[in-house]
Amino acid sequence: MGPLIPQGFVNPDLNLFFAFVIGLGFGYVLEQGGFSNSRKLAGVFYGYDFVVLRVFFTAAITAAIGLLLFSYMGWVSYDLLYVNPTFLWSALVGGVIMGFGFILGGFCPGTSMVAAVIGKIDAMVFVLGLMIGVFIFGSFYEDFLPLYTGENLGSIFIFDTLGMSRDWFVFLLVLVALAAFIVTRKIEDKVNGLESKSGLFAPLYVGPVLIMLAAAIVVLWLPESPRAKWFEADAETVLHEAAEGKQFVQTEELAYKLLNPKENDYMLVDVRGDEAFAEFTLPGAVHIPADKVLDLGYNKLLSESKKPVLFFGFSDTDASQAWMSLRRAGLEDVFVLKGGLNQFFETIFFSENQVNTYQEMPVFEARFIERAREAFQSGEAAEKINVKAKPVTTIVEMEAPPAGQGGC
Amino acid sequence: MEQKPKPYMNPYLAGFLLGLVLLAAFFITGRGLGASGAAKSVVIETIGRISPEYADSHPFYASFFATGDGRPMKNWLVYLTMGVLGGAFFSGFMSGRAGFAIDKGPRISNVKRLIFAGLGGILFGMGAQFGRGCTSGAALSGMAVLSTAGFLTMMAIFGTGFVIAYFFRKLWINA
Repeated sequence: MGPLIPQGFVNPDLNLFFAFVIGLGFGYVLEQGGFSNSRKLAGVFYGYDFVVLRVFFTAAITAAIGLLLFSYMGWVSYDLLYVNPTFLWSALVGGVIMGFGFILGGFCPGTSMVAAVIGKIDAMVFVLGLMIGVFIFGSFYEDFLPLYTGENLGSIFIFDTLGMSRDWFVFLLVLVALAAFIVTRKIEDKVNGLESKSGLFAPLYVGPVLIMLAAAIVVLWLPESPRAKWFEADAETVLHEAAEGKQFVQTEELAYKLLNPKENDYMLVDVRGDEAFAEFTLPGAVHIPADKVLDLGYNKLLSESKKPVLFFGFSDTDASQAWMSLRRAGLEDVFVLKGGLNQFFETIFFSENQVNTYQEMPVFEARFIERAREAFQSGEAAEKINVKAKPVTTIVEMEAPPAGQGGC
Repeated sequence: MEQKPKPYMNPYLAGFLLGLVLLAAFFITGRGLGASGAAKSVVIETIGRISPEYADSHPFYASFFATGDGRPMKNWLVYLTMGVLGGAFFSGFMSGRAGFAIDKGPRISNVKRLIFAGLGGILFGMGAQFGRGCTSGAALSGMAVLSTAGFLTMMAIFGTGFVIAYFFRKLWINA
């Protein structure tokens, strides 16, 4: 279901409101953690106060594991998260410059704002400096461009870069963090001339340590998510099925199910254009144009449908195309209305032929068609079928962040 | 009148809560946190106001006014930062930490501290452009989604800090 805004679950206009609320939490926690004090922040580089490392590492791990678990549960779609692209040299050069900025200034941008607002004058000057720095960058933007946009490796993941599995990487990251917590505790005590007593195993630390370890182990040994099992059906299988006509549902079957709504276990999907759908459609049908079935939001709707999906169009061409796409994407329960609406109406409403066409049909089918015809033509069906069609809520596509522009 | 400030939160708890805030940001908006972006928006807005011609002729600013609705302040990161200011002020005020002060090492004067704070800000402002985000936007948010950029930027920032700390020790410690 998440992220909410890119998938259109939340009005995009509320975006800025959420930004403000999240900011409130961000600012509150930073200030409570001691990040409004440049002396505490700089302490990480001199060993007298490692609060930055503790808060920073814990936060990154909490969020990383949280995202993995959310994605495992299907609450958040990892594909829609913004993964900052790796421009190799620009990232390194930027990091080095920021390292100098950190030592000289004693703040990073977020912490300087937190400190400035509670009256730290050094932080206010730092914030002013920030803007001057942005201005200088802007002034020499064209000169910096080759470095700034060079060596773009795309949105790559660290575990791929290191050639290990994602879950193992997170587990190792937690171990590294725990080791860092122990070592820095000892360093800190030494630098401050304190007797190192219980260190990591003071009651204060046992809790967080156990929670982090447990979370990392859970991630590592989670059975494979059912969601990870979506596979692409290979083209040959799908073509074979198509040739056998396995995908088709006959007009009669659909007519029967429409007349007996309790037995109708299909999710009807109208794949025609907007205008055609607006004019008329089958009762209870939802509207997803054929070329959109693989769009993320629609695809999710289709793949999470508990009912088998039945595509229909005017004929069965577009519906077959939609069927093909979804079958290739690995969905099992997908079908196509044979002959589409044209054949449906031809058979049920307009056909004047009587017995002749039915000669090869089983007798009950012929009888059914006759009954269905009566039902639909007399309007009796209309009474039975009072399900309204519903257009699928428009799914807002995620705004791609403009290339090369920083998120921070 | 001076009240004794309340102690800071346990850093692991603070980290955990910060992680939850970050997770919430990702869950709701699909992207992480950030801070330097607001400074950028302010600069762009200011330049756009002072000299629209300069902004139009300069690619760094022009791209901002060309894409989007030309309103750099109506931006996710700007509103986030307004929240940060509100949340931090509330926290500092409630904990008795609000009030004018300069934090510095024991061996430097206030003026010197402010000069270096300004220099540090300038460097950070530039570095955050190259890094496409600062400690929160590039490093922390990047690490949360396990991006290579996030880890690289984090290591570059702190690695540099540790390497050069010795040369700038007079700013912060007695040694």
